[in-house]
Parts: sequence; C-alpha cells; structure tokens
Amino acid sequence: MNLFRSEEHARRWAQFNPASEVGFISLPELAGFFGTETRRHMLDADYLSVWYPKRAAERREYVTRIGKAVPFWLGTAD
Amino acid sequence: MADSQTQRMDRMFQRIMRGLVDTGRPPHYAELARALGMGVEDGRALLHAVMSAYPIGWLHPETDYIASFPPLNGLPTQYRISVRGEQKWFAQCGFEATSATWLFPGEAVRIDAPCLDCGDPVTVEMRDGRLVWVDPPGVVGHLNHGFGPSRGRPPFL
Repeated sequence: MNLFRSEEHARRWAQFNPASEVGFISLPELAGFFGTETRRHMLDADYLSVWYPKRAAERREYVTRIGKAVPFWLGTAD
Repeated sequence: MADSQTQRMDRMFQRIMRGLVDTGRPPHYAELARALGMGVEDGRALLHAVMSAYPIGWLHPETDYIASFPPLNGLPTQYRISVRGEQKWFAQCGFEATSATWLFPGEAVRIDAPCLDCGDPVTVEMRDGRLVWVDPPGVVGHLNHGFGPSRGRPPFL
C-alpha cells in the first residue's frame, strides 16, 4: 500500500507484483477510500466498539462505487 | 458501577490513539494502565484485547510493544507525517497516510515519502480530508498484493 510518483514508477519498482495491475488507485479516490465516515471518528470515545465495526461494509461500498469490486480490492477469494 | 470490558477497551483505544497524536509514539501498557486506573498486568491483558479487536494494527513480535496502530505507526516507516511544520509521526503505509488528516482537524497534514522506484520525493498535503498539494501531480496509490489474508503477504507492504 504505497504511494508512487506515477504508475510508471510503480511498475519499475523492484518488488512490483505483475498481478497487481488492478492495484492502482488515483490519489483523490484513495483519499476518499481512507476518508469514509468511520475514519472521521478515530478520536471518538466509542470508536473501537461503535465505528470500527462498520468499516468493512463501508469499504466494500466505496470500492464498489469506484468500480473496484473485485477480489483483489474486496479481500475475498479469487 | 464498574466499566464493562467494552468500555475499558474503548478507553484504552482512545488513550493509545490520543497518545500517538500528542507525542508521535505509542504509549507502553504500563503507562496506559496507570492512566486508566488499573494494575499493570491488567493493562497488559487489556492491550492484547484491544489489539485483537483492532487487527489492522499489531504488536512487535514477541513483545507487548505497539508497533503499528493505524493510521499511525510506532515503528518508523518511509511515510513521514508533519503537522504545523513538525515531523514527529509516521503512517503505517501510503494508504493509511491519507487518513492521518482525520487525526488533526483543521490542520494542514503533510505526507513526505521517497518513491520506492527512484527515491525521489512524493509529497501530499491534506486538510480535513481534502488534497491541497500534490507533488508531483501524478502521484498514485498502489496495492501490490491485494487485500485479504489469502494472498500470503501483508497488504500494507
């Protein structure tokens, strides 16, 4: 889960996984993915019990919305 | 009335996250125990319960030291986080780095990292979740192994 100067830089990375062509995400989409509602409550007194458990569903909804509802992004079996 | 285990875990979670934000390093369980008014060993057990409930973070292997508590990291990474011109935080990974903005409401939060291909800088500045500066403009995120345990590599790498 890294930031690169461009897709070309990522592909030249010595550890680039050839099966990860599907693994690119634009920075605005990434900021949205890691800025969903639960993320805004990380300092709340009830984050662990109330907000964190909602995160998986929230992430699924977001990756679906940006067209990445594939096992690689969903964390489901291929 | 005594706190329930859920309440105790919430309180410890908040202490850890707030401690990271305030100091740039995760607290030790003995410090957490004192702050929460419990015995040291009870604090250690509660820390393990919190980490089990928050498995995207982890303790350093074979220790009770908090290594990672996303979005921030106790162990230094290449993702340096600066606020008010002060760099004292690290993000767990490049993706979590974009979430650090939510820990510093109203502040400009800057991410600096070397590109893993060339070593040249990648800089992103955010405020309240908005991207306010990106250099170079083509910065992208990349997930190398996919989410989920079945792929055999931690996705944060």
